[in-house]
Amino acid sequence: MNTLEVKNIKKTFKLSKKQQKIEKTDIKLKIAVNDLSFTAFPGEIYGLLGPNGAGKTTCLRAISTLIKPDEGDILVGGSSVVTDSFEVRKKIGFLTSELKLEDHFTPNYLYTYFSRLHNVEEDVIEERKKVLFERFGIEEFKEVKVGDLSTGMKQKTSIAISLVHNPEYIVFDEPTNGLDVLTARSVTDYLVELKESGKTVILSTHILSVVEKLCDRVGIIINGKMKISDTLENVKKTNSNNDLEEIFFNLVKEDELAGGGF
Amino acid sequence: MKNIVTIFRKEFYRVMSDRRLIFTAILLPGLAIYIMYTFIGSAIGGEIEDITQHKMIIYTENLPTEVQNYIYTQEINPEYHIYDSAEHDELEEMILNGEVDMLIRFEETFEDDIDNLIVTGIQIYSNPGEKYSEYTYNVITNALHSYANVIGIERYGDAYYSFDMSSEIIMDEEKAAGQNFAMLLPMLIVMFLFSGAMSIGPDSIAGEKERGTIATLLVTPVKRSEIAIGKVLSLTVISMMSATSSFIGIMFSLPNLMQGAGDNLDVFIYGAWDILMLFSVLLATVFVIVGLVAALSAYAKSIKEASMLIMPFYFISMALGISTMFSGEASSELWVYFMPIYSSVNLIIAILTFDLSLTAYLITISTSLIYVAIFVYILTKLFQSEKVMFSK
Repeated sequence: MNTLEVKNIKKTFKLSKKQQKIEKTDIKLKIAVNDLSFTAFPGEIYGLLGPNGAGKTTCLRAISTLIKPDEGDILVGGSSVVTDSFEVRKKIGFLTSELKLEDHFTPNYLYTYFSRLHNVEEDVIEERKKVLFERFGIEEFKEVKVGDLSTGMKQKTSIAISLVHNPEYIVFDEPTNGLDVLTARSVTDYLVELKESGKTVILSTHILSVVEKLCDRVGIIINGKMKISDTLENVKKTNSNNDLEEIFFNLVKEDELAGGGF
Repeated sequence: MKNIVTIFRKEFYRVMSDRRLIFTAILLPGLAIYIMYTFIGSAIGGEIEDITQHKMIIYTENLPTEVQNYIYTQEINPEYHIYDSAEHDELEEMILNGEVDMLIRFEETFEDDIDNLIVTGIQIYSNPGEKYSEYTYNVITNALHSYANVIGIERYGDAYYSFDMSSEIIMDEEKAAGQNFAMLLPMLIVMFLFSGAMSIGPDSIAGEKERGTIATLLVTPVKRSEIAIGKVLSLTVISMMSATSSFIGIMFSLPNLMQGAGDNLDVFIYGAWDILMLFSVLLATVFVIVGLVAALSAYAKSIKEASMLIMPFYFISMALGISTMFSGEASSELWVYFMPIYSSVNLIIAILTFDLSLTAYLITISTSLIYVAIFVYILTKLFQSEKVMFSK
């Protein structure tokens, strides 16, 4: 019941003429994810791997209820993104570069604003804000407008805001993007803490070392399809050298040889 | 409800905490109107003064002393020059160029002709294309007509037939003054309400889509209808503030614009009840306008596209405002009060001319609320549509 279950989801997009030109194709429909399934468990970090355009972000957007799958369903703690997206939104903390913060406001204002939208009690808002702001070093720039912050500062603020409601399910898309080594480390350490406190964490990244260090389970998506999904240990076992990078490249190559389509 | 308040407060704070937005959306409309109207008024006033203060340059041939004296008694004091027929062509050229205002040629026998009851001719050359010449023509011909009357009365005494006209004005002064307002204000009000909504609506919704901040809001457990209502309410309040600023601007600048002709434009003819009714109609109208602007902004991909989509509706609304400008009377047809914006325009006229029908008022207010509910529903649907929210 406390799992995050992606069940055979399919999502197609209509390509505009402009997009057809960019992708150099005549095909009007693009299948972004096709029959994708995996399950993430509490107390674990599930790493979603895949090259650019493989369908990772589409999958994460579907989990976050920003888009609805054409087929299949995603159950977040038993709530369906198709029929009960409102409940799903209460349970998840979502971070992706697509979610921007308004330049005009300060991290302090936005934290309180999103906490209220998540129906967090006023005293809890302040308490949790103090912890998260200290943790990610936001305290010193909390009254600076987002528009005047550096990329790293913005990313830290976004992370804190995605966690205002202390969600049970955390979906982070490339969380260490734009962060320096020290801050990136504080983020990955925090993800481990979240996992240890029993949260279900999904992490999408293309940094294989991060996956190896943090993830308990791994799923590799190529061309919208889940090529492999298992514990990190079992995935590694599929290669004689136990080398995740090699496994990843072999799968990409295999797919290319097979024509790369659906 | 709590979420609506949270979104409303944030949207309101967004504008109120931005000096640039406070200035452009709230202060500037009133200030710009005041400066513009005062400028237009003083330009018109200055022009009139310029014409009346101008020393008329008149060339005359055989100007009788009696006529000259009579003109002088009419407080007209032109600069006379003697006409020389040898220079006629040059003189015509000078009239054409505006250097001379008029040439007036009397018969040599003018005074004898009058004494002998012979119809005598006066030949006048002027140029209506030149403001001074046109004014001189009007003033001098009026003086000549009245001089002819004077001769008639002197000659025939009571037997000279002339009208003795006296007029009594029977009117409700307040209603007449209201009519002046009714002709001017509806179009301006609709224009102000629209431009108020247009100055912030596209940025608040299409801008959020363009900047990618709407997605951050959409992943929170807030009903799309709450987002729609919160945004519409805050836009309504800010648009009302913008319209109020414009209204104050126009009220202060009207006396300057009308330059004395606006003696009848005294806003104090309206009591608290009229103002209250007017305010409720404005509020209902601004709701409809904001609903429309918000729905179009949600549909558009960018602020620019939103402004383009809103523009035709802005022009239609202005045309509706203009359509009633010349009658200055509210329509008595009931169907009119079911039409969005057009109903408001007519109702504003009815209030301003003290001719308000309760049925029309109730129909306008209730249909406006229905229209805004429809727009909020559309806005909610648009917020729910991933295709609309995330199309690039």
